[in-house]
Amino acid sequence: MKRQDFAHLMIGLVVLAAAVALPFYVDSRYVIGQVTLGLFYAIVASQWNLLFGFAGVFSLAQMALFGFGGYATAMLCFYFGMNVWAAMPLAAAATVLFSLVIGAACLRLSGAYTALLTLAVAQVMYLLIVTDTDCFIMVGTQCRQFTGGAVGFARFGDLGTRAMFKTKYLVANYALVVILFTATMLFTWAIIRGPIGLAFRALRDNPGCAMARGISRFQMQLLVFGLSAFFTGLAGGLYAAHFNAIGPGVLSFSQLFFIIAMVVVGGIGRLWGPLVGAIVLVAADEAMREIGEFRSLGLGVIIAAVMVLMPNGLIGLCENIWDRLRRLRTRSPALAAEVSGDTPA
Amino acid sequence: MAEPIGSSCLAVNGLVTGYDARNVLTGVSLSLNSGELVTVVGPNGHGKTTLLRAISGLLPVRKGSVSLNGRAISGLPAHRVAANGVIHVPQGDLLFAGMSVLENLLMGAYLDSDQVAVARRLDEVFSLLPKLAERRTQIAASLSGGERRMVGIGRGLMMKGSVMLIDEPSLGLAPIVIEQIYDVIARLKASGRTILLVEENPARVADIADRIHLLDNGAFVWSGEPAVLLQRDELLATYLGG
Amino acid sequence: MDIIGPVLVSGMTTGALYALATLGLSLVWGSLGMLNMAHGTLLTLGGYAAFTAASQLGWPVPVAVLAAAAVGGLIGALIFMLVAYPLSRRNPETFETTIMIATFGVALTLENIVLRLYGGQPLGQPLTVGGSISLGRFVLPWQNLVIIIAAIALMAATALFLARTKAGRAIRATAQNPDAAKLLGVPVARVYLQVLILSGMLAGVCGVLVSSITQLSPSLGADPMLKAFIMCVVAGLGNLPGAIITSFALALVEALVQFLAGARWGFPALLAIVILVLIRRPGGLFGRVEMRRL
Ligand SMILES: Nc1ncnc2c1ncn2[C@@H]1O[C@H](COP(=O)(O)OP(=O)(O)OP(=O)(O)O)[C@@H](O)[C@H]1O
Ligand SMILES: [Mg+2]
Repeated sequence: MKRQDFAHLMIGLVVLAAAVALPFYVDSRYVIGQVTLGLFYAIVASQWNLLFGFAGVFSLAQMALFGFGGYATAMLCFYFGMNVWAAMPLAAAATVLFSLVIGAACLRLSGAYTALLTLAVAQVMYLLIVTDTDCFIMVGTQCRQFTGGAVGFARFGDLGTRAMFKTKYLVANYALVVILFTATMLFTWAIIRGPIGLAFRALRDNPGCAMARGISRFQMQLLVFGLSAFFTGLAGGLYAAHFNAIGPGVLSFSQLFFIIAMVVVGGIGRLWGPLVGAIVLVAADEAMREIGEFRSLGLGVIIAAVMVLMPNGLIGLCENIWDRLRRLRTRSPALAAEVSGDTPA
Repeated sequence: MAEPIGSSCLAVNGLVTGYDARNVLTGVSLSLNSGELVTVVGPNGHGKTTLLRAISGLLPVRKGSVSLNGRAISGLPAHRVAANGVIHVPQGDLLFAGMSVLENLLMGAYLDSDQVAVARRLDEVFSLLPKLAERRTQIAASLSGGERRMVGIGRGLMMKGSVMLIDEPSLGLAPIVIEQIYDVIARLKASGRTILLVEENPARVADIADRIHLLDNGAFVWSGEPAVLLQRDELLATYLGG
Repeated sequence: MDIIGPVLVSGMTTGALYALATLGLSLVWGSLGMLNMAHGTLLTLGGYAAFTAASQLGWPVPVAVLAAAAVGGLIGALIFMLVAYPLSRRNPETFETTIMIATFGVALTLENIVLRLYGGQPLGQPLTVGGSISLGRFVLPWQNLVIIIAAIALMAATALFLARTKAGRAIRATAQNPDAAKLLGVPVARVYLQVLILSGMLAGVCGVLVSSITQLSPSLGADPMLKAFIMCVVAGLGNLPGAIITSFALALVEALVQFLAGARWGFPALLAIVILVLIRRPGGLFGRVEMRRL
């Protein structure tokens, strides 16, 4: 096992242990609820990181995919009376298809064009849902729009945790999100280490050489669009099921940039960047709740300042400090042998 | 150019520069006296363009110094180096593709706010390069390779400066056009200009160069008169492939 | 047909506004390779600045409009000095994407400052003209006419500035070949600063015009910016004449779709056009596939 893998594994185990320990030490429903929410964000952020940080595709449709998964789950339950557990994987598969279509449209575009097109797709989706006023069916005396309109869907079915765990259902839902998060991280790690990750590294470092070896940028890019959509869509479904509601709010501009901010603050292209960013930003958000009105303002300043002052995020900053410490050590000859001893040949 | 003939106009001392972690030039020194034409020859990719870019401030100098008429210019940003009087006619012309010939030439006089002087220099350029006068309204992107080279040189001549750096003026041109271009360069030298010229083929500059530096792998491996270099078959074979 | 008149009036008016919003955005992209996500916020700031100047300070209309331009230009300058310049110096390779994220942060910040200062409720822009001219069944409100004329005048002035003045020529030269411009003595960073100021001033005035037919709200600039993005993409980023033609053409299409199919289908129709164009020509209708960087 390589050193880096070992480090990632250790970090992963520590994170998992902390996540498991949390409900035993913290009783507050509010805290558990916020941590659950943070994990949802971290999942979506990690998939956006896969797309942007590793594959270099600057897509702004990530929350649209999340919303797609959530809406698909809700609508499958609402219109077809499906069980939530059956609807979620179906919705995730649909999200993958949706993402592939977006990916295909963006295939030959450069960075800024991709950003604008994906942003427009997300925005159109939002506007079409919010402005939907045509009656699709009548529920009692109330008119329901096909897309749920500005209010969205609610009470279409839940995860069954309420019936099973009664008042402890929140912890059960939390456990489900932790499981999904773990699966997402394993999946992301596998992709980064696997042939796709290698292909992207090759494309980034030496495009000419990579293409000569038969790596097709188009194929790889499409693949990443599809792959990164699966867990995003699944998370959307679980989100909808957890709250037993989904509305157009998840598609808003500020939600999207909350996700992007997490990746930026944590560290673009770092495996653990999104999690670190999610923790820091959700915590900062909580802290700024005290000063209430300045929440979004603070978020904006954080995004801009981190981008300018700390472009590799908190993890990049730690790497820098670590590097400098190592170099200090190597400079003193007595310790040089020790350092070379623990670097594998 | 009030400098007395023979004083050192451009002086490069122990210049080290490169890209990223790698040094392309590992210590280059040269000096040009006023009115001289000095040529740097060398194989592709050994740092000729890099040398000119470092002199004109497009590339940061890592070690060593560059001075112009006794004043240090290394470390200045490119536009300040230009204001100090270094004219750089870059490799591949780097014209403003969407602008007309005239506008390209006028950009050369960007630093000069004296309209009368600019008009006079424009006339001089047109009389030296009459083809440009015919094509003055044509868009640069639609010019032929030879015409582009002339616009590049003409644009440089619109600047006020004490030394002119010309990077491979023969690049990619037909022999007859190369001859025309070198004819222009010979006339520039005859008019008293100080020129640092980069060229791949030493034979082309044999008649006009006062000195030749042979650049290989980031350093000068031989310096001297062109006539001498052309006699040294072993040098030509080793460094310039025959 | 009765829809021709209203479609023309509404299409030309929004077209003029889109074109003006697009001009500033496109200018910045063409010169710096920077997609300014805070462009919409500059519109908003312009609208509020004029409001403050005219109705709170009681300044005359032309001065209020100048104030809008000044605020837009000032914020544009700050964006360059505090965000774009340091970002481009630090890592030119990733500038294209990092600047989008950073300027979004700026947008979020500024929008919230406006929200704090003025509150979220819509305000009426005092700089409006009432009445209309009617030619038979064709009714053209004065307000729309003023917007169309003002926008076209501003675009013409910008075009003249770029084509005829030395500063304008330096801006074009720098956009086309920054290295060559540097070698001729052009202080490229200062040119970029001028471009952002110019773009900010145009955005500020554009915001006044937009708010004069809608209302002032902190998200005033969001819709025009999104539309401007679309125009830029269809035209090819950085192509000024193309962007202006596209703005008018697509605004007319949007107006037509809105009249025929309902207001909510205007934007999806635009998106469909964008996707069709981009599948055919990934660099936009008038653009080449190329990347330009600081
Ligand atoms: N922007 C750059 N980034 C990294 N390396 C560069 C860059 N420009 C040039 N180099 C490298 O520097 C070395 C010297 O290049 P330079 O252009 O100075 O060569 P040259 O002698 O002018 O060649 P030619 O005759 O082909 O013009 C080459 O190995 C080249 O690959
Ligand atoms: Mg060269």
